[in-house]
Amino acid sequence: MSLPRFKLLRPRSVAEAVEHLVNHAGSVRVLAGGTDMIPSMRQKLFEPEYVVDLRGVTALREVKLQADGSVEIGALTTIRTIERSDFLREHYPVLAEAAGTVASPVLRNMGTIGGNICLDTRCLWYNQSLTWRKGCGFCIKKDGDLCHVAPGGTKCWAAFSGDTPPALLCLKAEIEIAGPHGTRRVPLSDFYTGLGDNYRKLQASELVTRVFLPASSKDYRGVYRKLRVRGSIDYPLAGVAVVLKRSNGHVSDARIGITAVNPAPLLVKGASELLSGRAVDEALAEAAGDLAAKISKPLTTSALTPEYRREMIRVFTKRAVLAAAQVNGN
Amino acid sequence: MTQPTPRSQRPTTDFSIIGKPTAMVDAAEKTTGAGKYTDDLSVPGMLVGKILHSPCPHARIKRIHTSRAEQLEGVVAVVVGKDAPSPYGILPVGHDEHALAVDKVRYVGDNVACVVAISEAIAEEALELIDVDYEVLPAYFDPEESMKASSDLIHDNRPNNLEKDYHHVFGDPDKGFAEADHVAEARFIANEVTHAAMEPHSTLAAFEIDSQTGKPGRLTVWSSTQVPYYLQHKLSLVLEIPMAQIRVIKPLVGGGFGGKSEVIPIEIIAAVAARKAQAPVKITYTREEVFWAHRGRPRTIIDLKTGVKNDGRIIAVKARVVQDGGAYCSYGVVTILYSGALLGALYDIPNIQYDGYRVLTNKPACGAMRGHGTVNVRFAFESQLDELAAKIGMDPAEIRRRNLLQPPCITVNGLRVQSYGLPECIEKTVTRSGWKERKGKLPRGRGLGVACSHYVSGAANSIIRSDMPHSTVNIKIDRDGGVVVYTGASEIGQGSDTMTAQIAAEVLGCSLSRVRVVAADTDLTPIDIGSYSSRVTFMAGNATLRAATEVKKLIVAAAATKMNCQPDDLVFREDAVVSRNGHVGTAAIESLPRAQPRGPAEQSSAATVSGRVEGQILRGSLQQKRKDEGPKDRMTFEEAVVAAIDFHGALTGTGSYAPPAEARGGKHKGAGVGPSPAYSYSAQVAEVSVDEETGEVTVHKVWAAHDCGRALNPVSVEGQIIGSVWMGMGQALTEEMVWKDGMLMNPGLLEYRSPSSIESPEVEPIIVESVDPEGPFGAKECSEGSLAATIPAIANAIYDAVGIRLHESPFTPERVLAALRAKKNAKAINLTEGVDPTSPTRFREHGGSLWFKGKGPERHPLDPSRHEPAGGAD
Repeated sequence: MSLPRFKLLRPRSVAEAVEHLVNHAGSVRVLAGGTDMIPSMRQKLFEPEYVVDLRGVTALREVKLQADGSVEIGALTTIRTIERSDFLREHYPVLAEAAGTVASPVLRNMGTIGGNICLDTRCLWYNQSLTWRKGCGFCIKKDGDLCHVAPGGTKCWAAFSGDTPPALLCLKAEIEIAGPHGTRRVPLSDFYTGLGDNYRKLQASELVTRVFLPASSKDYRGVYRKLRVRGSIDYPLAGVAVVLKRSNGHVSDARIGITAVNPAPLLVKGASELLSGRAVDEALAEAAGDLAAKISKPLTTSALTPEYRREMIRVFTKRAVLAAAQVNGN
Repeated sequence: MTQPTPRSQRPTTDFSIIGKPTAMVDAAEKTTGAGKYTDDLSVPGMLVGKILHSPCPHARIKRIHTSRAEQLEGVVAVVVGKDAPSPYGILPVGHDEHALAVDKVRYVGDNVACVVAISEAIAEEALELIDVDYEVLPAYFDPEESMKASSDLIHDNRPNNLEKDYHHVFGDPDKGFAEADHVAEARFIANEVTHAAMEPHSTLAAFEIDSQTGKPGRLTVWSSTQVPYYLQHKLSLVLEIPMAQIRVIKPLVGGGFGGKSEVIPIEIIAAVAARKAQAPVKITYTREEVFWAHRGRPRTIIDLKTGVKNDGRIIAVKARVVQDGGAYCSYGVVTILYSGALLGALYDIPNIQYDGYRVLTNKPACGAMRGHGTVNVRFAFESQLDELAAKIGMDPAEIRRRNLLQPPCITVNGLRVQSYGLPECIEKTVTRSGWKERKGKLPRGRGLGVACSHYVSGAANSIIRSDMPHSTVNIKIDRDGGVVVYTGASEIGQGSDTMTAQIAAEVLGCSLSRVRVVAADTDLTPIDIGSYSSRVTFMAGNATLRAATEVKKLIVAAAATKMNCQPDDLVFREDAVVSRNGHVGTAAIESLPRAQPRGPAEQSSAATVSGRVEGQILRGSLQQKRKDEGPKDRMTFEEAVVAAIDFHGALTGTGSYAPPAEARGGKHKGAGVGPSPAYSYSAQVAEVSVDEETGEVTVHKVWAAHDCGRALNPVSVEGQIIGSVWMGMGQALTEEMVWKDGMLMNPGLLEYRSPSSIESPEVEPIIVESVDPEGPFGAKECSEGSLAATIPAIANAIYDAVGIRLHESPFTPERVLAALRAKKNAKAINLTEGVDPTSPTRFREHGGSLWFKGKGPERHPLDPSRHEPAGGAD
């Protein structure tokens, strides 16, 4: 499968990149690591006239500790860098761990944190070649008007399948978005729409430039657990990040983020209320699992049945809560 | 050491080349990237071909409009079915394929047209400009449904969409079951898997222009094939040109596993396209197209009944096998026969009933895949044998020992067994795995399972019935002492060329670096029917052995004259010829300089010995030298060769192999498939753990003993055993082609999950050498037989670990968890789309739907995809 024809634009700065986006709005895509976009372009899921290759924008490649104790991560920082960063491993282990589960080593060398945040939602009925999609009559997300996984539905259920966003959500990360009118900062939790097709709140002339981890999240330690068939390469079929903050042997705050079972990565509401002020035990962890399973709505967008994936959100959340308690020295 | 050992008393393991771990002769090419696979090749003026595939599972083609595509700048030709309407197929009984669809398409992905253009991008663009008018027909996706069809048949000449059925009765099964103390009966389902060879299929076809007519004349085809001679034959059939006008060359092949063991549409299409475009055309499949070309292992339903006596003896077996064969015959008739025939030849089973149905469905064609036909039935059989062992309270390894054959023998279904290393295989795996000490004593969730398997060392009867040799090998030796072996055998990564070189070098007593193998080029090499059914070592190996022995006779005669001794007294070893009766004993052989790979400098010094200096043959001086020396006790290999050429002229030898009549099986209908001159045997123990909350299975270690007769190249044998176990593990745990109404949901290596290195367990290969009386140096096959044992070994280990019997493969976490929850009476959750993996009744389809209120892809109203979705949305 060949790539569709396009013009490659190679800006050296964010401003230049935004200018390209403005000039070619509607027929332009941003390329960072390319690990997901290039195969998708071959499958003719995207056929932009222009591709803005950000890899020359060197300013976006760093992990920096800010004066206020927060951390700034450039959107082009590779997943590998995050996985290997001693600083992140020490202070934000949940993020480094989640990064370490992304795809395979070679893909982590190429893939970026910005790309993982902006990762297109996935569905077996969508991530296929043009020829294949003709055979199924297309779908709402691309070229069609029906949903195969929710027959009769008019909503797209393609699943958000990034590994790092649930960890970032747990860390209350914010992202910086650059556009023609300058930059804006939004909580990552506000970035996703919950729809499978139009899955993120990003204008055609905008791009994600930085990720910020607030200083206040530094004491939140935890783990990421990922359901996959193979120990490498696979996208998550369900993923759970859990972070806990502790004081006096009890949990003082807790956050649970889930991925790959809804069109957006989600923070589990009520996690803090459930876990705060209590010592973590099997029963409590199980209750947390039930809570997470309740908001997960997997459909037949991937391998393994939806019922199984939802059940695994329950099991993995339970395990992650117990493991996070261990990490925190329970 | 002073007394030479007479030949008859020499230990049989006293080889200088074989039996030693040997690097593959093509390893450097492959590891440095210098080697050329078909897609690496290009010829001047070469164009690119791209294939248009059907979006319908079953439809009549009313019209194909190609003019818009033809008018696109850069498009040279658009090829359609009527450009080459002659049917073909790998089996003489199954000529049901066309280069491109002539009247009908039969699966989503079927080949409709081919665009030839100056670039891939233009060819792809042109595909979008071809309009095809289809008249959709009802399609069949479930083989048991398909067998009920009375109209809209997939092929008009196949009533009930039944490609072929066989009904075999050996002994008296009913009486056997009546005498049985315990009987187990169950349905097993094995889902569909494919080869997933690393190299996608690729073909480059080029016609020479005939100097008389100016029209396309001789055809040369470079192709990723396991069977260049079958390809030559089918090309001749479809293109209607004589075979002698077609040259097929097999470059390096990046794995086949059966997926390249027949003529694949791309190979015919490229040639037809090159003819129409009047230019060389190369087509390389995308990975998705590889999945559509398929020819993998069919989804199989096995209704199996086994009866045993209290002492563990199997007394009767009854198997009904239904294979979901896809839309074309392919090797299907052979597959369904192997499934029944190889119920025999592993254990001693006195009564066997077999009913096999190869069914056509509107899906890509299934064909031969590593362990052809035997794997899924073996999963069922070895699982059921384990259940019966549990029923009678017998150790699972012991019940297998109680059912051994007593070779030499002929099984109830007519298979001749001579060498039989199964007892030793069982013994060694049991010992090495600590079976006796550890079985049943592992921590909760961890278990051991045992299973056995076997496979043919080549089919005793070729596809096209004839008395022609299955392999022929020519050898040429020149004054330079270089040995060139011409073999039609196809190296596909399994080590065929290395095996050939080893056997030639061993027989001739020369170093491996002297031997050059020219293989699989129909213009240069004598016919060999191909690399499939694990036949190459046994058959091409025997042919090589014979060719080398023949040419050696000429050298022996000359050397004996020179050395003034009896031919029988000569020993050829390590590039030297010595007389065993002279004052030179074997010690002298050992004192000879050991053969080393020769660099250019050494080449030239060797050349001096043979009398060749800067291209001049200094015959006179050499003869003078010989006269001076008189009779000698030893000669170098080059000297002996030169002497032989002086005496005989050209040094050539030829050898052929055809399986002996006694090994060709019984007389019943379908008896041709299953017989082999020799069978390999395998026993395996798998150690697994099962996560009882997630259903995830981890394979920790597999002990795999394999009787390969003799390991000509032990490191290669071990590699094949490890590879078989690994591939079997893929089918056992993760690999599954997932279908929804004829749509393959996972046509790529991201969603079709072959294990990654992380899941790969430690495999301890154990080589067992039964030394077959007819194999070359006693060798049998080692590339396929181990695979089938892995799946049931893992299934039985899962049972040992957590007490569940899975009757449906692969054992994905959802299936394992469903069985575990059912066992614990946990709250029911529909984890497996309503199919109970411990007693499945039907194939499971992927969730979702192709259809909603009249929308969706164009399908016939009676098509299964038009039924209301069973599940529906949340």
